[in-house]
Amino acid sequence: MEKGGVEHEITELRLGLPGRDVTEKMMKKRGFTEMIMTSSGSNSDESGVVSGGDVEKINESPAAKSEVVGWPPVCSYRRKNNCKEAWTTKVGLGYVKVSMDGVPYLRKIDLGSSQDYDDLAFALDKLFGVRGIGVALKDGDNCEYVTIYEDKDGDWMLAGDVPWGMFIESCKRLRIMKRSDATGFGLQPRGVDE
Amino acid sequence: MNYFPDEVIEHVFDFVTSHKDRNSISLVCKSWFKIERYSRQNVFIGNCYSISPERLLRRFPCFKSLTLKGKPHFADFNLVPHGWGGFVQPWIEALARSRVGLEELRLKRMVVTDEGLELLSRSFVNFKSLVLVSCEGFSTDGLASIASNCRHLRDLDLQENEIDDHRGQWLSCFPETCTSVVTLNFACLEGETNLVALERLVARSPNLRSLKLNRAVPLDALARLMACAPQIVDLGVGSYEDEQDSESCLKLQAAIRKCTSLRSLSGFLEAAPHCLSAFHPVCHNLTSLNLSYAAEIHGSHLIKLIEHCKKLQRLWILDSIGDKGLEVVASTCKELQELRVFPTDLHGGGNTAVTEDGLVAISAGCPKLHSILYFCQQMTNAALITVARNCPNFIRFRLCILEPHKPDHVTSQPLDEGFGAIVQACKNLKRLSVSGLLTDQVFLYIGMFATQLEMLSIAFAGDTDKGMLYVLNGCKKMRKLEIRDSPFGDAALLADVNKYETMRSLWMSSCEVTLGGCKRLARKAPWLNVEIINENDNNRMEENGYEGRQKVDKLYLYRTVVGTRVDAPPFVWIL
Repeated sequence: MEKGGVEHEITELRLGLPGRDVTEKMMKKRGFTEMIMTSSGSNSDESGVVSGGDVEKINESPAAKSEVVGWPPVCSYRRKNNCKEAWTTKVGLGYVKVSMDGVPYLRKIDLGSSQDYDDLAFALDKLFGVRGIGVALKDGDNCEYVTIYEDKDGDWMLAGDVPWGMFIESCKRLRIMKRSDATGFGLQPRGVDE
Repeated sequence: MNYFPDEVIEHVFDFVTSHKDRNSISLVCKSWFKIERYSRQNVFIGNCYSISPERLLRRFPCFKSLTLKGKPHFADFNLVPHGWGGFVQPWIEALARSRVGLEELRLKRMVVTDEGLELLSRSFVNFKSLVLVSCEGFSTDGLASIASNCRHLRDLDLQENEIDDHRGQWLSCFPETCTSVVTLNFACLEGETNLVALERLVARSPNLRSLKLNRAVPLDALARLMACAPQIVDLGVGSYEDEQDSESCLKLQAAIRKCTSLRSLSGFLEAAPHCLSAFHPVCHNLTSLNLSYAAEIHGSHLIKLIEHCKKLQRLWILDSIGDKGLEVVASTCKELQELRVFPTDLHGGGNTAVTEDGLVAISAGCPKLHSILYFCQQMTNAALITVARNCPNFIRFRLCILEPHKPDHVTSQPLDEGFGAIVQACKNLKRLSVSGLLTDQVFLYIGMFATQLEMLSIAFAGDTDKGMLYVLNGCKKMRKLEIRDSPFGDAALLADVNKYETMRSLWMSSCEVTLGGCKRLARKAPWLNVEIINENDNNRMEENGYEGRQKVDKLYLYRTVVGTRVDAPPFVWIL
């Protein structure tokens, strides 16, 4: 048998998803639904509902808005290019820029789509069409390239030292350098267990 | 005129180039019909399913240029499921089999394949110009065929297509003997570009006028390219990032100074705003500026750039320009004819970047303005009435208030009066998109005043069937009507079936039309294709014996002389 309080919750009508906390979200969603229902031409009586106050609430309920397919009417090509820009401003999530010595253009890689350093190594190899970058991440001393990254503090660190989760949170951009150039670069020293 | 020999009449017809006029000429008499038929150079087909390639060739055996459009406009917003149609393959095959000397092919919203491009490139010796807009289904391999086989290629213009980039060497497929390129636009390609091949191609193309690069072309390559092509008129900058050094910037500045013919600038897909000043020397000649993909250019860099562009006629920008920025545009760009302001934040994050004030400022400052596309968070009737008074010359007026059903934010009234003022003042209005809170009243105004209106886009508007009826009865020149999420149903749909013969197409999605209504329409009008698009059910509607009362999710109907199309996928039911 359930407690009285829980029973009450179950029988209460709600607009939100089950299990979600109630009042604020419900009010916002109601605001939007009411807007739809009173939108048909009537003005004077319902103007209280359709006033500035409710309009503010609507702006705060992205869940209701983003469910509308194909709205706003921005063509899909533009949406894709728009999204990319939004992502690159976030640190640690989504796309970071990758430069490689000797290659005249920058690429971008989605850190979020890799699970660990192996994945990242593979993705970098594919990105530049060069094998061996990945090896650098795993097997430090044996190959031509080193992969370094700029962290949140602006320091350049060798990729592969810190746990993956910490890495993707702090990585702002990546650079693939020739090992020979790296020695004088001023990398932050590795951890104690080196 | 009948006393003149055919050659003379044909010579006169050569001066008539508009499709509408040529269509009118062909209706005068049999003799003119025949002469016009054989002398028609450019054929425009607004709906590829309205006619077949065989019939096209029977009527116009000698054309050189073909424009074809496939999917309906709302396909741009993902409302048309993948696989719906618009395949160009049968067209290319039919044209290849015939003896037509095709020189130019322009496609919009069609499905193109690599095989099709290969066939195209091999079948027409004088093929010169390929323009693909919002197409999909092909890869850079198809581009390689075009580059390799079209000896006289003049234009390769790829606008906003979905192209599978195999990172191949399509640019190096242009033979060394190819020196005829005038337009090269590959901005929509996502992959890397063979910069060496590109530079060599540009260097050997003295007639190159339009060059639009993709993201993979960095700043220093841009400088070298511009140095090779100082005659350039239209430039799409690719990646404008300056990671390396300011030497690239200096080289770029020097190259840009020599480009005295530059009139149109676009791109900046990645951007280093501080390098924008390199373009200031040429800004005073610019007539067209498209920064709508340059999210990183805003604020003072953007304003400084615009302040130099006094001759601008066309401006595409993001709403991060703000009302203040639009005021700068209004006071600087007195020649402005077309303005498009796109939203940066698609989820309406509450940042009121541009409002009705920006729109009013533009209307007050730019007397030549005739086309506008404006995305904003809020609008008022008063502002729209002012805009109508300031700019009675609008031909295209598209206003998109990001939030559906949003009323006048000051008075909380519907925006009927505002849009009413627009259609009443703008006697030449051909295209209109409405948004915000709207009742049937706005459609009464549209039907009454918008006598030249050819295309109308409606979303989340209206109360009853009367709204749609006002439009269908009033707008005699209506060609394309597209409606979504509005309460119009069978009564409006069926009121005047013959109206649809005068229109290219009608789209209605998430409205109140029922299956029964659509079936009745199809029976009354056999010269229409009435398509029910129901991707969820995959055409099980028919098998499950759906009731006539069942609402139809997506309806697309269009006039056609060739009956039901044979390439429809299972989720499209043609009644």
